[in-house]
Formats: sequence, C-alpha cells, structure tokens
Amino acid sequence: MSLERREFLKLSAATVAFTAFGGLGLDLTTVQAAADLSKLKGSKQTTSVCCYCSVGCGLIVSTGLEGKGRAVNVEGDPDHPINEGSLCPKGASIWQLTENDKRITKVLYRAPNSDKWQVKSYEWALDEIAKRVKKVRDAAFIAKDAKGQTVNRLEAIASVGSAAMDNEECWIYQQMLRALGLTYIEHQARI
Amino acid sequence: MSGKTFFVDLSRCTACRGCQIACKQWKQLPAEQTKNTGSHQNPPDMSFVTLKVVRMKEVGSRDDFKWLFLPDQCRHCVEPPCKDAADSIVKDAITQDKATGAVVFTEKTKGLPFDVVRGACPYDIPRQDPATKVMSKCDMCNDRVTAGMLPACVKTCPTGAMNFGERDEMLAMAKKRFEALKQTNPKAVLVDWEQVRVVFLTEHEPRLYHATLMADADSAGPVTRFAALDAVLGLRNQARG
Repeated sequence: MSLERREFLKLSAATVAFTAFGGLGLDLTTVQAAADLSKLKGSKQTTSVCCYCSVGCGLIVSTGLEGKGRAVNVEGDPDHPINEGSLCPKGASIWQLTENDKRITKVLYRAPNSDKWQVKSYEWALDEIAKRVKKVRDAAFIAKDAKGQTVNRLEAIASVGSAAMDNEECWIYQQMLRALGLTYIEHQARI
Repeated sequence: MSGKTFFVDLSRCTACRGCQIACKQWKQLPAEQTKNTGSHQNPPDMSFVTLKVVRMKEVGSRDDFKWLFLPDQCRHCVEPPCKDAADSIVKDAITQDKATGAVVFTEKTKGLPFDVVRGACPYDIPRQDPATKVMSKCDMCNDRVTAGMLPACVKTCPTGAMNFGERDEMLAMAKKRFEALKQTNPKAVLVDWEQVRVVFLTEHEPRLYHATLMADADSAGPVTRFAALDAVLGLRNQARG
C-alpha cells in the first residue's frame, strides 16, 4: 500500500478534485475539519537525501509557491531503494533543518581564547582555513620516518566526519586528505 | 463494515519514535518542555500538542526481563464513546468521517466538558489545551488519507510495525500475524479488534504494556490489575535480591 512517487506528485490534482467534490452540496460536515490537504497545495516535489547519518535515506521535499517558496513538508521517498518511504525520528524531523529560527545562516568565528563570536564572510573563512592547513602541514609534514623510509605523512591534522556528504563527495574529500598526507581519517559511518 | 484500519504489530516495534516525530512534523506541532523521568519515554505523556507518544515499560527481571513498547494513539473506535458523549451536548463537536471512519475533534470541542469526554474514552486519549479549552487527539491524518496518502506515522515506520489500509485487508493481515505469533508467544492478544480501527497485536499480556492499552471494565478501582502485577513483580525482584 505504498504510495508511488508518481501518485504523490499528482496529489495537488487530487486536492483540487476533492475541493470540487466539496462544492456539490453533500454533507461534508464530518470531514471538513481535517480533510483538506491545503498544506501541500501549490507545492513542488523534489527528491533529496537525508544528511543525518550514513544510511542515506531518500526524501521528498515539498516546496511552496510551485518551488519558489520555502519547504512546507519533508517525508520519506517510497521509490528510494534504501528506505522505501520510511524515516527514523531524526530523519522525520528533517524539515526543521531548514525551517528553523535557530538556524545559523552566517559564518561565525571564535578566535583562540576568545569568548565572543564574530560574523565573518565565507571568503575570509575559506582563506583562513587554507592558510592554517598550509601552515600546519609545512611545519609538521613527515617525509621520512626514523628508519629512513619514505612515508610522506601528516599526523598533525585529523579529519572526523561527515555524514552530510554523499559517497562521491566522501571520495573526493578523502582524495584531498590523502594528498595532504593525512593518516587519521574517520567517517561518521564508523562512529 | 468498511473504512480504514491500522494494524500495529508491537512485536516489530523498536520504539525508534519515528511515528511520534512524523506526527508532530506533519501537523507542525511544537515541542514540549520535558524533564528526565528515568525513562526514554519522552514527553512522559500525550498532550494537546503531542497526539502520539511511544510508551516504554520495563517489566520482570533477569531472564524474563521485558522492555515493552507501545506507540499509543487514538484507536478510532468503530462506535466512538467520546462522540456519543459529545453529541448530546454540542452537535458536530466530535465527528466521524463516513468514508474512512476517522474520529475527528473539531474546534467546537471547546464547548464540551473535558472530564466527560476524557472519561468516556476507554483508552484515555483526549487532551485539552488549557488556554483555549479546545480538545485534541489523533485524527488519522484524515487530510492525507482522503488524498490517498498513508498517515504520517505509518508512512515513516521503518520496521513495518505500523500498517494502514482497508479494514478487511488489515484485519486479514492482523489475524495471519496473530496466528504466527501465537506459536512463540501464547499470551499474544489482538487487542479489541472488533471495536477499534487501530488494532494492536501484543507479544505479552496487554496490561503489561500500559493500563489502558486494552479497554476493560475492571481497570477502574483503587488497585488495577496492572498495579497489582507491578507489586507482585516488585516483591519477586526483592526476593531475588
């Protein structure tokens, strides 16, 4: 009894049909309280992947104003091979990831030993990260170990994360880390 | 009898609470300030803004220890006593959808005496907003169901514990599973299946899960069977020391 995505996408049409039915003067007092699917009316459905854990469940995101507005609902994608429409409690709450007044939308920087957050630009943050990675790598890179064997490794930086990345992003990311010489590379899937 | 029915197979429930959250998410109900009560059950009870709560109960000890889970919600009774009680006071305050069988509370419930409505429910489901006096409970996601979708709680369930569909299909599924479960769990019960549209299949005696999982006249009174059982288990635990 799973609802195929195609049927899901036809829902706005079904909602219109129901409203027309409501105009026939039938006794709908029993249903009027909750039977209008107004929440999804005029919304556009797109697919996405849950970012919370490494399982990678498929989502259907309904976005208001034919896709130009904000997300109005997110639920599991029945056509997705991993979750077949279901979601765990964390995934089921994922709508709040975007529609949340507590969401941080700017880059915040706390300097060492400071107790204040400063608002910074993305450009500043990316440059600063690159600068610091280079500084640590230049200072701590190990080309040869004690036996004189070539190892080309960097033990002063570790990477921990990230469930929010998909398989291909993880591959590119670990390529970059290996190029820097990192050996301490961990992903949330193993934590 | 037609309409819709849930079949909730408690032997498959892992208490992930996906249903509880999916319900809040679809209805955009706010979170509640809660505190640690020593149980993962959170919030501790249903409320005006928490229409579904996964109850967790620890019974027995050592070899016969059981951690029982119950995703508690309105049972959508075939003949709803809350509606019977309300109809004589305010017409259409509590309605029943003819097509799906969903029992739906409307805003007119604010004109009803809360103790009467809650008292009429064998499963202790209705809750009231203290500010507006409007009452609330699960409405079977009647908007989704009427549009051909599954209720939010059923849609999200990752284990197959929650099922939803035409009543005859669900009862057939429930009875088949009941027969299979009885082989390993002789005390399994298909709770009140003739009276309700949310049919729970238990692995153990229903009262172990929650006092109002099953409608029963003798649950009233100073010492319920549930409390009595708790006392017995408590004594036995002490004896094992």
